[in-house]
Amino acid sequence: MKTSLKRELLDHGATVVGIAGLNGYLSGEISHLDRAVSIGVDRRLNEETLALLMKLQKRVVRFLKARGHKALAIPPDSDRRKDTFISKLYSLFNHKMAATSAGLGWIGKNGLLISPSHGPRLSLVTVLTDARLRPDEPIEHCLCGQCVLCIDHCPSRAITGATWSRSAPFVELVRLAECRSHKTTKRQTTGKPNCGLCINVCPYGRTKGYQDQVP
Amino acid sequence: MATEEKKKELLEKLRNAVIQYDEDTAKEAANEALSTGMEANDAIFNGLVSGMVEVGRMFEAQEYFVPELLMCADALYAGLDILKPHVKQLDLGVKGSVVIGTVEGDVHDIGKNIVKMMFDVAGFTVYDLGRDVPLDKFVAEQLRTDSDLVCLSAMMTTTMTGMKKVIDDLRTKNPNVKIMIGGAPVSQDVADKYGADGYAKDATNALKDAINMVASLKKMKDEVEAKKAK
Repeated sequence: MKTSLKRELLDHGATVVGIAGLNGYLSGEISHLDRAVSIGVDRRLNEETLALLMKLQKRVVRFLKARGHKALAIPPDSDRRKDTFISKLYSLFNHKMAATSAGLGWIGKNGLLISPSHGPRLSLVTVLTDARLRPDEPIEHCLCGQCVLCIDHCPSRAITGATWSRSAPFVELVRLAECRSHKTTKRQTTGKPNCGLCINVCPYGRTKGYQDQVP
Repeated sequence: MATEEKKKELLEKLRNAVIQYDEDTAKEAANEALSTGMEANDAIFNGLVSGMVEVGRMFEAQEYFVPELLMCADALYAGLDILKPHVKQLDLGVKGSVVIGTVEGDVHDIGKNIVKMMFDVAGFTVYDLGRDVPLDKFVAEQLRTDSDLVCLSAMMTTTMTGMKKVIDDLRTKNPNVKIMIGGAPVSQDVADKYGADGYAKDATNALKDAINMVASLKKMKDEVEAKKAK
């Protein structure tokens, strides 16, 4: 079942797919749905990324339900309706946690999911389920090594330089207030809140320049 | 006009869309129901609501948990949004307004939310006070909105006793208001002892009782007004 699900998603535009076993990582309300299908889509596909993510998500839900399993789709962070009953539960869940548990990547110094093949350039969605899919091997530690490009390029000096580890307690990787205030300034001066330098400079998955710096 | 067979098929589709928490199918089936000329009321009560009743049973049997329940409710609303504008108000026989909430000290509001949804479905005006509601607030809100009905919910034996106080206060301030109570520790005996007008075992019963109560209340008002007119 796992292989055919993965195959189907990759055939329909997913960049990477992993299965996470989240037993013990979820809060009570959703703890019976302890497998996660984590899907990443290359963000360079731009505006169509969101539509594609939603389409893939529906595909997973249909696939699982047709086989008699439960499925709870968690939409992308950037596109959440707030007016539904189920939206109250979205905050219980974190896409990046599912992605690292599914072995899609680690959390980089810039606080983003870094995939070995696509760097921080993936958009994520997750579908939680009770189907007994065999989990993939999680990634336990940060593989950024000595690379500090994102720290050097951050205009608001928001990146602390701490390193993530799956088993370690939460550490502050990015000072969110600084990052946010920079984006606010950007919006005032250029009309766009975009910064994204920490994504641009990341050597993992980069197509030009810097690749040779992959640690 | 829809044939009986087609009608049955559509009702089944609406029902299953709710049970299977499938918003897209709920919308699709609701639109189909309208385009085949089915009564919106029929589609809502014998389709969507019938599905939600089954969901309630599955929740009790622990086949469904909170996330599924919430998704089913979303599917119900997806269909309801389409059907509601086509509901003929007269078909329900009665319209009313209701104040609803979970009493002070109690934060369990899933049951209350489902009952609230049933009232929404039936076209009641609902004033939802939420959960952990101070006891005075029920009385104040009833007086402010002049609601026909007050619904109290409690999930614990410790908070249940707060209902009695609310009922007594309401009776003193407004003897005509109808009061219904519900929740796990509540029974018909408790309702009688506390002086409530009704006790509902589950959400569908709550709605049936409520419609009857409001109907009798309206009748009473009409009689009073008829007397005045003479």
